Amino acid sequence: MEATQKKKMLTLPQNSIRIIRLVAALLLLALIILRAINVAAESQFGADTWLRLSFSGLIIGGMYALIAIGYTLVYGILFMINFAHGEVMMIGTFGGYFAFEVFNAIQIPGADGSQTSFMNSFPVIAILLAFLIGMVISALSGYFLERIAYRPLRGAPRLVPLISAIGASIFLQNAGQLLFGPQRRQYINPIILERGIGWNLKVAGSTVVLTYTGVFSLVLSAILMIALYLLVQRTKLGRAMRAVAQDKKTAALMGINVDQIISRTFVISGALAGAAGVMWGIHNGLFNYFVGFIPGIKAFTAAVLGGIGNIPGAMVGGMFLGIVESLGPAILGIDFQLKDVIAFTILILVLIFRPSGILGEALSEEKV
Amino acid sequence: MNKQSVQKSAGSGIVFGIIIIFLALIGFTVVISGLIQKVSGRPIGVGQLPKIIYFYIFLGFLGIWNGWRASRQDQHESLTISKVVPRSAIAGLTTGLLVMVYAFLVGDLDARGIDVRNYLSQLSSESIHFFLFNQPFTLGALIHVVFNTIMAVVGGLLAWLKERSQEKVRAARVSVQKWSQDRWLGKLQGNPYVSYVLMGVVLLLLVLLPRTWGAYWNYVMGTVGIYVLLGLGLNIIVGLSGQLVLGYVAFFAIGAYTFALTTAPEPHHLVWNFWIALVVSVLAAALSGILIGLPIMRLRGDYLAIVTLGFGEIIRILLKSDILKDFTMGPRGVRNIAGPTLFGKSFTTDLDFMYVIILAVLLAIFLAKRWQDSSIGRAWLAISQDETVAQATGVNTYKYKLLALSLGAAFAGLGGALFASRNQFTGPEDHALMVSINVLCLVIVGGMGSIPGVVLGAFTLKGLPEILRELESYRLLVFGALLVVMMIIRPEGLWPARRPKLEVMTPQEDEAPPALAETGGTA
Repeated sequence: MEATQKKKMLTLPQNSIRIIRLVAALLLLALIILRAINVAAESQFGADTWLRLSFSGLIIGGMYALIAIGYTLVYGILFMINFAHGEVMMIGTFGGYFAFEVFNAIQIPGADGSQTSFMNSFPVIAILLAFLIGMVISALSGYFLERIAYRPLRGAPRLVPLISAIGASIFLQNAGQLLFGPQRRQYINPIILERGIGWNLKVAGSTVVLTYTGVFSLVLSAILMIALYLLVQRTKLGRAMRAVAQDKKTAALMGINVDQIISRTFVISGALAGAAGVMWGIHNGLFNYFVGFIPGIKAFTAAVLGGIGNIPGAMVGGMFLGIVESLGPAILGIDFQLKDVIAFTILILVLIFRPSGILGEALSEEKV
Repeated sequence: MNKQSVQKSAGSGIVFGIIIIFLALIGFTVVISGLIQKVSGRPIGVGQLPKIIYFYIFLGFLGIWNGWRASRQDQHESLTISKVVPRSAIAGLTTGLLVMVYAFLVGDLDARGIDVRNYLSQLSSESIHFFLFNQPFTLGALIHVVFNTIMAVVGGLLAWLKERSQEKVRAARVSVQKWSQDRWLGKLQGNPYVSYVLMGVVLLLLVLLPRTWGAYWNYVMGTVGIYVLLGLGLNIIVGLSGQLVLGYVAFFAIGAYTFALTTAPEPHHLVWNFWIALVVSVLAAALSGILIGLPIMRLRGDYLAIVTLGFGEIIRILLKSDILKDFTMGPRGVRNIAGPTLFGKSFTTDLDFMYVIILAVLLAIFLAKRWQDSSIGRAWLAISQDETVAQATGVNTYKYKLLALSLGAAFAGLGGALFASRNQFTGPEDHALMVSINVLCLVIVGGMGSIPGVVLGAFTLKGLPEILRELESYRLLVFGALLVVMMIIRPEGLWPARRPKLEVMTPQEDEAPPALAETGGTA
């Protein structure tokens, strides 16, 4: 009798914690929905605002998704947060910026004898080259980051590479500031991709501009995501990456060069981050050395949201986060200053209530 | 001289070449030369470039290092002159050629009158001339090649000399050690009164030094003291209980704001006594530690790190935002915060503050030491080593982790309150993520879990940059590099904890051993 009672007392807290969590989650959800209904009833915003917000959410979500894939790939293989990933994106932004500056400076005589810049005579080539340069520079920095800051720590406890990653992040950010100065710079876009110009849609009596840069970014990020998915699922390299992610020791025994695969993973994630960086520059225009920090943290949030280690999860998480972040303040009727708070709150809530994310399989506690 | 050896030497040369170019691009070459000039006792005026000779000294140091590194390729071989000279020469030549290419490029741009500062903000015309030894750029570039090669060969020869004399040096060292052990160290170590005498000397210094220093030093050392407090707190969380928390600044902010809002005339007209407000802020921070910890203490490792980082950012953004403006004054921050008073007499000079901070630090060290040595400390140690095992052996991990977080938060609250009181101001930007990172850095650099390590770390990371004012803008850069290097060569810190095998030092089992990975074929 006494023994069973004791046992009951021991098991009770575990269950009660779970129940309390569930109740808290439901309460929170109900509160949010209630608030949303209230705000919707006030109908503060017209359909045009909603469309504009969803569009900008999708664009930013595409960039988050590209960066989040980098986090997820690395986490899947090394179980470490590549804290410096946002800085890799920053390097890509600078790469694209300098590429456009050079293309703008090169003058080519036109047919009628007038001088036009290379960028505006061959805009498609210029854009492709700028993306290529941004991606290659980012991929290289990802490669060297792994070689210098992470590879010597292979096999160390997990706190050690994380701290090294934080160090690398601080280093790269400050190197960027010292090299290029703290001032904000502006991307020069080719005329066909001018910022702020696009298709004008008439919605609810006002115009909503679907910017060319936005549509371009969205399409390009979709293409890159599909390409990455195919790479991981269909190629030999992808198979090796998945094998290493599952079990490094066995993969090594099967004749896979684990170090090389890890290097290539960093190259791929760096290239994606670089593409996101150039997109950021083309779409938003202004940037400085600090550009990678906030997107980096947000993209990590997105990766966790989708289930870390899970590539489709990172894509879904990125899109979801982008949309929630841009619609959230309007839905909840709060200040737009607080959109970062929404992102971080989502991160915390997801980690508390469902650490495996939207699409993630249940990770063992050890991995969490 | 086989191919592999040549490759290794050239590789070393390339690394050093890139380092020199990078340092030149960020303007560090000028700053470090100026620093060398200052250290050697010759002041330089404001806006004046240092003398070229000091740049030579700096370059020479790098060159010697380069040659030294390149010539010692294998630990098991014995060095001979015929091995050392070509290796170091190749390394130096590679470095020199790389630097020469760079020097040609910038020198040419500069000679054509193009201002590259639009793109590379540190490359003023003067600094380019300085990098080229104030010579025409072709000559300057050539000097780089020759000088690097010569210095590298010197470095190689030094490595050779060192190896030749190694036996003698070792014998000498052993005899010196033996002598000092016999004569006085051995006697001192056995004597129980030595530690009391040392403590007395330290206390005397702590009382006397602030009186003789002057206001500036008291200000600098006050900052160091506050960071020692923060470091001790984070040391409890990260070093002792092994939970990586990146949002430590949240508790610092809560302490500072609680203190500010209860003592400042605006916005709440609560002008409380300094000591009451101090206690309340410490309690508020500790309570917030428990509240934040309750839902998240289940998480481990990286996830905990990122969640706490999120908390820190949320608190900063909320403090800055307009919705709390009536309550916390928004981005303007809170002004006119009270200073310490005793028996109705207020004392707010830097000297008085220094004593308050010293008292707080001594108290914190005492408490941290007691906790560390108690059963709580052992529970933390067990958790930091292996949480699952700790739980299995009957440690209530949840409770002890929560306790660590709230105690650490209390220290941060104390630090925050003192910081706000000393500056008589606190605003949202005092509580940026960088504070968390700085504190984490000092804990790690000092040695996780080690109280003297924290003090040493605070002096190195907060005190040194104040002394070396020139390095101010490079501080964070050096921090970052230091963290990486530290993790690679000395993860246990400058003054590691005595306790055996804290988490950092034990490799985990589930990784593939490097030897296995290297022998595997291609994918």
